[in-house]
Amino acid sequence: MSSTKERVGCVVLPGDVLTCGSELPEGKRDKLICGPGLRRDVDDVVVCKSGILRHKEPNLYWVDSQQTRYVPAKGEGVIGIVTAKSGDVFKVDIGGSELATLSYLAFEGATKRNRPNVQVGDLVYSQLIIANKDMEPELVCIDSCGRANGMGVFGAGGLLFKVSLGLVRKLLLPQSEVIQDLDSMFPFEMVVGMNGRIWVKSRSTQQTLIVANLLESCEHMTTAQRRDVLRRLSQNCL
Amino acid sequence: MVCLPLDAGAHKFRHMADRRLREFGCEQNLLSRPDGSASFVQGDTTVVVGIYGPAEVKVSKESYDRATLEVILKPKVGLPGVAERSREQFIRETCEAALLTALHPRTSIVLILQVIHDDGSLLSCCLNSACMAAMDAGLNMRCLFCGVTCAIDLDGNIILDPTAKQEKESRAVLTFAIDSVERQVMMSSTKGAFTTAEFHQSIAICQKAAESIFQFYRDSVGRRYSKS
Amino acid sequence: MLRRPQRASKLHQRVMNTNSLTQAPWHQTTVEPLEYHRKFLKENCRPDGRELGEFRTTTLNIGSITTADGSALVKLGNTTIICGIKGELAAPPADAPDKGYIVPNVDLPPLCSSRFRPGPPGEQAQAASQFIADVIENSEMLQREDLCIEKGKLSWVLYCDIICLDYDGNILDACIIALLASMKNVQLPEVHVNEQTGLAEVNMKKKRHLNIVKHPVAASFAVFDNSILIVDPTSDEENLSTGFITVVIDEEEKLCTVHKPGGTPLSNEKLQDCINRAITRNKEVCKLLNKVMKSMKAK
Repeated sequence: MSSTKERVGCVVLPGDVLTCGSELPEGKRDKLICGPGLRRDVDDVVVCKSGILRHKEPNLYWVDSQQTRYVPAKGEGVIGIVTAKSGDVFKVDIGGSELATLSYLAFEGATKRNRPNVQVGDLVYSQLIIANKDMEPELVCIDSCGRANGMGVFGAGGLLFKVSLGLVRKLLLPQSEVIQDLDSMFPFEMVVGMNGRIWVKSRSTQQTLIVANLLESCEHMTTAQRRDVLRRLSQNCL
Repeated sequence: MVCLPLDAGAHKFRHMADRRLREFGCEQNLLSRPDGSASFVQGDTTVVVGIYGPAEVKVSKESYDRATLEVILKPKVGLPGVAERSREQFIRETCEAALLTALHPRTSIVLILQVIHDDGSLLSCCLNSACMAAMDAGLNMRCLFCGVTCAIDLDGNIILDPTAKQEKESRAVLTFAIDSVERQVMMSSTKGAFTTAEFHQSIAICQKAAESIFQFYRDSVGRRYSKS
Repeated sequence: MLRRPQRASKLHQRVMNTNSLTQAPWHQTTVEPLEYHRKFLKENCRPDGRELGEFRTTTLNIGSITTADGSALVKLGNTTIICGIKGELAAPPADAPDKGYIVPNVDLPPLCSSRFRPGPPGEQAQAASQFIADVIENSEMLQREDLCIEKGKLSWVLYCDIICLDYDGNILDACIIALLASMKNVQLPEVHVNEQTGLAEVNMKKKRHLNIVKHPVAASFAVFDNSILIVDPTSDEENLSTGFITVVIDEEEKLCTVHKPGGTPLSNEKLQDCINRAITRNKEVCKLLNKVMKSMKAK
């Protein structure tokens, strides 16, 4: 375990072995939870994506990598576009390799007589309830208590655009610096999906476009550069 | 190239200085549309790769237990011919052994390689750029691989990473793909006749050269993640 | 059901094991083919009773196609390959005016296996054609200068059409043997260029064989489960293998090609094993070829 802790924060490449099962004596083995980017190969933990190794107490390790392609994972909230209505289900495009299904009963207050008002082309924020490599992904717009909890159809007006998955994870952090900086500018609405899709809406089209461009470009900027751009913008616009 | 004088006793000296790789460089994430992209430069040989995946697949091509890997190699001029198909097969089989395709069944991974300039060692440049693009796209890999070419000239000297001119003048050109975990030969493509001893010697030289390429991969990935 | 083998001589034991193993229920071969093969490999043999390093019976028939200048039919177990060579006259290439051409083409029609669809040649056929072209060039089995009739004006073009009639694995080995045998069988007529008219005059009565200087022979291996090497894989074994390697070697023990299109990495010792086995295979095939050529001459 000590060798793994030492490598936290370093760049790891696919094929790197983190622990050797044979090195540790029987009694001293701790549990190690493999997050994304790590896999178990008999007794060793092997890296399968390139990126930075991260650690969370007590024993969770994962690889932070930059990626554009979304692979559906259970429990994530994603923005989907409704592409077809077939019978009792909606086919939703979430950016993965397959279309996901969303049953019409998976909305708050929906019954067989009271169908939700969802049309083809609508944007839907929903949660993945089944997402593994062997099955078609399934979405729901209610949580386990039966309440919508912010999920459902949205998006009258506004702009939907795609960013990398790393940026989306940064935005969804509890104390995201990017959101705090943007807050100070002008009011806007934002929906962030874990599949790399962001929807923004502001008072006017120009402001919406400014926010969209800012978010797309702050992926490659450091904190100082971002604050600089925001300062210049606020001086020019407001 | 250092030329050493020949002894009167008819011994041949080996050119020690030709055991170096040419200058190589790489750029990741240069194209905006594909999920992963990379360009690899070895001397003057340049190849750009775009990779899409895991994406939708046609029902006729889908496989129930793994991702279907497709490789398309476009030459600099003209239409792809039989030689390109043969190289596509080499690249595809090497990538299939390195990528964990069992994690994405019923999907497709498409690799498109475009030759920008060919100055020798083309197949190894294609392999290196394919590996960097797969890392850039964040695909799950079992190990990394790198391509190394060496040529055996008429005197029996082994030249590493030959240019097009050196390839034409040599009697054999061997390309190997070496894996990063155990430094063993994953792929072998040879042209010309050679003895078993020369074969093993070439493998040893290429395995040593692979070390510097893997170190380069680590450095370039490190540089990329240090910006964020 | 596996019965415990009784004490017997080694060959008898192996035969008994094979018999008991081949009586596996039918669903095991289709539902779990890998497990089925693994059971045999543990006993160091294969479902068809061969050892790991044993080739299938090779049969060779030369000169069966009378309309071609040279032909050969090769059967490697169930795999059947036929090669026909036709010589035509053409102008030599501009960059090599004293050489002729050899154009090989491998065809894998839907006849030989259900995995091939009708239409343009697939990747496997094209890669095999490139492989054959490389072997002809690398081994220098035939000097291209011999094919030149008059420098800069006329030369022979040999079209080698290799067609698979039955695909049961390991077509590369069989294609090379068929090509070699039909090259030895080719008889080209004498051609003179008439100086006055500039036309070629072909004398069909005087024919001569090609001068084959080297005899390259291929040996293919499949890698199972990342470690076990088996020689001459059948179609089922090819589908389950994790890697594939073909070594082409001529009678002077010079390697013409080491063709390993990706797959599991192999250590240097395993590569050396493959080369050694290829050397013995070369001797076996050359002996067979000489026997057949002698019997042809006797006719």
